[in-house]
Amino acid sequence: MISVFHINKWAGFTLALLGFTAEAAQAPQHINVKQYKTVADVVVPLPGEVFGALNKLGPVNWKEFVRTEKGANFSERPRTALLLGNVIADGFIAVQAQDAPAVKDIGQRVLSLAKGIGVGASITPHAKAITEAADKRKWDNVRLELDRTQNSVQQAMNELQDQKLSQLVSLGGWLRGTQILTSVVHRHFTQEGAELLHQPDLLKYFGDRLTAMPEYSVPVVESIKHALVEVRPLIDTGSKPISADAVKKINDITTRLDGEIVTR
Amino acid sequence: MNPRRQFVLLFLIVPLILRGIASGSVDDAQSFALQAAEPYVREGFQVREDYWGGDLAAGEKKAVRQQLFKGNEYWFWMGTEVSHARISVHIYDKDGKLVEQSDSWQKGHFAAAHVVPSTTDSYFIIVAVEESPEERTHWALVYGFR
Repeated sequence: MISVFHINKWAGFTLALLGFTAEAAQAPQHINVKQYKTVADVVVPLPGEVFGALNKLGPVNWKEFVRTEKGANFSERPRTALLLGNVIADGFIAVQAQDAPAVKDIGQRVLSLAKGIGVGASITPHAKAITEAADKRKWDNVRLELDRTQNSVQQAMNELQDQKLSQLVSLGGWLRGTQILTSVVHRHFTQEGAELLHQPDLLKYFGDRLTAMPEYSVPVVESIKHALVEVRPLIDTGSKPISADAVKKINDITTRLDGEIVTR
Repeated sequence: MNPRRQFVLLFLIVPLILRGIASGSVDDAQSFALQAAEPYVREGFQVREDYWGGDLAAGEKKAVRQQLFKGNEYWFWMGTEVSHARISVHIYDKDGKLVEQSDSWQKGHFAAAHVVPSTTDSYFIIVAVEESPEERTHWALVYGFR
């Protein structure tokens, strides 16, 4: 994959020139979105996207959510995939907290988990880059490397025809992100904060994916499947706002799942 | 080289190689989408490593459905390696209402759409190849947020 930072210097010039000559985009004001074939079911956001939006609503003490303990290793691949996503999300939390030692520990933990699942080779350069960027306190670079790490893990899994494991990595990250989001919003409830949970299509996407992987029917995957059904009515509230009580319930559910993901 | 081998090389293998070079790939399209993103990186947009792409006939459209968060600002950049193609990208909410900002733009084989979501929800990014000299045109979409 080509990085935006590897583009040659003429690209900036070309695009600057383009800025002077580009047309404003003309498009119909209304369309029937259902008539289009979709390329991807739903694009799963990075934990950093929701944390960024949360940060804009007020100060968050990210340090209290940093987690670096090594935790268990699993022999079951679906469990490792979920944990890998969860630990990468922990990396984004450590970046928000600007905690360099935690970032470095998490980088090594990601590498060890990736090796355990047979995709370590693609992660080694990213783990090194995470450590270097954390040492220099270059937080944007750490974020970028965490994104690259997740992308490389998932690409390597896809190349091994293991798309389902790749989806579990996304799910692990999303669950950890949702746990932190609900913790923050529960403590200082605002409707704007609760609105960040309005992700019904994403929830349906994950539910459908889990249903399509009966071969990975380990207890934690079953727990998540049931939990998604519990969470759905709490966030799919139509035009009504998501309540403080719903935020608390989702936090309880995601905290319970997090325990199942990280402990043996 | 014997004449039979020369024939195979000249009339079968070389055209295949040339066709491969000329036809490009989604990865090539992605490099153009990233070119479109580059000035915005300097403005603080974090460009996601992942990308979406494929190939479309002229006049064909596809959708990428994406969860966006209120409070963030997003740009979507589309590119193709077919320099004489004209492509477009637009952003609609779930009800099919155009929600992009007026500074969204299209120029030849680059296009970009800007959105500041008014609600946290899933949105539809509609990509299209408006015109192209090729039967099928590779395209790629990347996005960034801040």
